[in-house]
Amino acid sequence: MYDGGVYRSAELYEAIEDVGGTVLHFNRSAQMLTVTMSVPEEDRGVIEKISKEIGGEIRSVPLAGTEIAVVGCTLGRHHMPHPICDIAEVLRESGSISVVMGIARGRGKNTSQISKKELEIINEYDAVIFMLGNFKSCVETKRFLLEDITVPVVLVCGPQPDGMDDICEAIVPGVGRKAERMRLPDEREKLREISSVIIDVIHNKKRMLEEDPLFIHPAELKILLENYEPIDMCLRPAPIVLHLDGLRVKIPYKEHKEYFDNLDVYGRKLSEIAEITESKMADNSTLIRIKTKSQVEDMDSRAGSE
Amino acid sequence: MQVDVVGPDEYGNAAYAKLFENIVGDIGKTFMIKRSKLVLMPELPFFGFSVILRNAPGNKTVSDAASFRPEGSDLYITISNERYAPEILSILWKQYGRNNVIQQTRFDILIHDAKEEDVRDVIIASGEEVVKEMLGAFWRALPEGIRVRETFVDGKVITVMAVEEIMTPGAFEMAKELHNEMIKLGEESEIFV
Repeated sequence: MYDGGVYRSAELYEAIEDVGGTVLHFNRSAQMLTVTMSVPEEDRGVIEKISKEIGGEIRSVPLAGTEIAVVGCTLGRHHMPHPICDIAEVLRESGSISVVMGIARGRGKNTSQISKKELEIINEYDAVIFMLGNFKSCVETKRFLLEDITVPVVLVCGPQPDGMDDICEAIVPGVGRKAERMRLPDEREKLREISSVIIDVIHNKKRMLEEDPLFIHPAELKILLENYEPIDMCLRPAPIVLHLDGLRVKIPYKEHKEYFDNLDVYGRKLSEIAEITESKMADNSTLIRIKTKSQVEDMDSRAGSE
Repeated sequence: MQVDVVGPDEYGNAAYAKLFENIVGDIGKTFMIKRSKLVLMPELPFFGFSVILRNAPGNKTVSDAASFRPEGSDLYITISNERYAPEILSILWKQYGRNNVIQQTRFDILIHDAKEEDVRDVIIASGEEVVKEMLGAFWRALPEGIRVRETFVDGKVITVMAVEEIMTPGAFEMAKELHNEMIKLGEESEIFV
């Protein structure tokens, strides 16, 4: 990630392109600029040199190219602010696009609920950090909120719960409900722990993907999609968000179905090598899940035998 | 502020004591609370928060926080309790207009064409407001989903109980017991003072 000023940033973009890299995400705030990029490891020196020349710095961000949801029981002030926002901030520092979310009826112990639509929305992300409260019995009762989530879940809560290990990738105890920001040294340390846990979870997911690689890397597909005018003109922040196994494109699928379905990717239609669906969160986003090479080969062999 | 916590969950007890202190601190009412007791039973679930205030919430007037010195048609006011200075100033501005209220120093105010009897009994902080703010803090501190609540206010003691679904007679009794215990504690501490 480049962190610096906008001055001469065009040179940085040019260098990224020259080394065959791609910009995953950029954020400009007044004269400050952060650019999350993907470049070959051997060319890191070139980018570092240019960044130094234009007054910025480069650091590794292990969560680049991921979108992670931080989910609380509700959007109310009892559940939502402080720890959840602090966790989302730490994720952004590590290069992830983080989304904060509250369940409509997640509050309470015996009355807590999660809807199918909420589950579907949560399952769109690369991983989820689920935040529960201070009482052990309440945390354990709310196990069912996490049971149907198919993406990796990291549970962050107050006390260490029993019987939750099988539904979570990891549990980070020691952060419960708080009425203030996590500013103290031990609290900052806890945030770093959460960050490193989620980095491990994402790393494991990447390793699993490497065993059966995707037909096309999401960053490559992003380069192809960027040239499409409605995406290029899209004013929403980060019109294309990378996932580990695909992308979220912030234009409506219904209106651009023709383009998405027929986009040429190495001689194939995009609809053949990916599942393209409308995002469950809002119908103005499109979710692309790229199939693995073996899935595409299997599809080809079935078509051949028919 | 002394916070006593009763409950089976050690982690939750410590966390809620801190949460309660922070939230009461946020609304600036820590100094008003002499003692508080939180009963936390997440298993049931039942939550009871009770506090003994230092003084029974009553209306505060300008004369409680300031002294007066009339000179001709002018009235000099000296604020003796700094905490009420913003309220006194804003009330005087409203009543006499900014041009007629001159703040000579931080605590000395001169008002042109004013009488002591017109200013003396103006309310600067109502007791009802204090109870309301305190209840607001309790509701913020209580778990969000525990929504069936009952409030008891007797003199210096305010108690709030909360259960999740049905207010059972047993839960109500527990809250009443907590409330009465705090009333007794409040009376005892007064004897010793």
